[in-house]
Amino acid sequence: MIHLENITKSYNGRPALRGISANADRGEFLYLTGPSGAGKSTFLRLLYRADLPDSGGIVVNGADLLRMRRRDVAEFRRRLGVIFQDFKLLRRRTVAENVTFVLSLLNLPDKDQQRRAYLVLKQMGLQHRMNAFPDELSGGEQQRVATARALVLQPDLILADEPTGNLDPERSHELLELFKTINYQGTTVVVATHDRGLIEAHPARTLFLDRGSLVKDGWGSAS
Amino acid sequence: MNRHSWREVKRQLRESGPAGLVAVVLVMVGSAWGGLLWTVHGWVHTELLAGDRQTTVVAVTRSEGEAATLREALRSRFPFVAAVSLTPRKVQEELAGWFPELSTVLLTLDERSFPPILQVDVAPGQEEAIASFLRSRPEVTLVESSRSWQARLEQAVSRFFLAGLVLALTLLVGCGAVVLLVVRLLVLNHADEIAIMRLIGAHEGDIRRPYLVSASILGFAGGLLGAMLLVGLEFALRTALPALAVEHWLLAALAPAGGLTAAAGAAFGLASLPREP
Repeated sequence: MIHLENITKSYNGRPALRGISANADRGEFLYLTGPSGAGKSTFLRLLYRADLPDSGGIVVNGADLLRMRRRDVAEFRRRLGVIFQDFKLLRRRTVAENVTFVLSLLNLPDKDQQRRAYLVLKQMGLQHRMNAFPDELSGGEQQRVATARALVLQPDLILADEPTGNLDPERSHELLELFKTINYQGTTVVVATHDRGLIEAHPARTLFLDRGSLVKDGWGSAS
Repeated sequence: MNRHSWREVKRQLRESGPAGLVAVVLVMVGSAWGGLLWTVHGWVHTELLAGDRQTTVVAVTRSEGEAATLREALRSRFPFVAAVSLTPRKVQEELAGWFPELSTVLLTLDERSFPPILQVDVAPGQEEAIASFLRSRPEVTLVESSRSWQARLEQAVSRFFLAGLVLALTLLVGCGAVVLLVVRLLVLNHADEIAIMRLIGAHEGDIRRPYLVSASILGFAGGLLGAMLLVGLEFALRTALPALAVEHWLLAALAPAGGLTAAAGAAFGLASLPREP
């Protein structure tokens, strides 16, 4: 599902990732952890092709991202569910519209869009906030909308950047349980987090990054 | 265009605000001006400059007696032509008859403003020989032919049309430029949202289409108002120029033309959108 070969990436001459090589199989659950500035977000940005590496190779979901044509990028991203650290909700659209927007890109009938949006928002406990705008929601609610938007497409791969950063512990564990359930159904899940408690409570394979280098590829939260 | 796109179009139309209104007004003025120019140009060529009109050569004399003498001389030289001497009053009426569109103005002038003349109706192509003969006569102070007047009028109309065309093109470019600015402003305001839409799988077409449609709607509305303004102008001018008529196809074309102009402006405005890496 994910194959990274000796990836390097720098911003304005400052290295963000140094020679990273890693693989993840289809249906795998993977944590990406490390201190702030370790390169977790950069790692994820490369996986959904928001950035291109300076060198190395990346294959995600069967697509070689370096050789991908621009016009194929949108189709590629539609098979991913990305949960952004800063949520990236569409501010001028309601909660329901934020979720149905990705479904509308697939030209699904309106009724199907509404039904699927309702179900996933209900799963996130947000069915009563469907007509609210993002700015009317708390940080935790916005994070759940972002998660709902990522899940509604039933993607092949979920990339979550600090998905529990704004959630209380109970909601965080609920979300991880949800990710696990989705993972059991065959979806590959990559969660970037610095929350060691969360990794200990829901152990899985973990990539440890530090100052742009992959320092350990192991199981659970390790120092 | 799905439901999301139409909602986005509505939002963009609302957000375009006063700048959007300026774009509509510019398209309205531009399309009405272009339509009026086309209509007047057509009217001048059909009504005043028609090539199949019979040519009339007139020779101005100092007195009615000299006009009669000249007529006799002309008949002896060109027996096939029809020539009549006209009194000043008759001259005034004849001129009004030649140009019915200007008759109101001509008939209000003082009779003494018109000289006695000899009027000769000739087939097209003969006027040069007859005009030369008349110029050589001592009774004649001036020789004019309707053909030469038509040529002068045509030249003046061409210059006016050219100037009008430049103005219409300037307005057209202005409309496009304003729409371009409106779209750039919207794109600037929506930069974050556009980036998000890309990240969650929107194609360039999904992003750009609502902007193009919004701009086209502004242009179409401007063109529609321009067509209404043109109809109003036609009614206003009809008392002075009864034969002036706006063609139906022209009225129907103004709104789509406005829409296309605005869409072209929007397309240029969208060129500033950053691309995927």
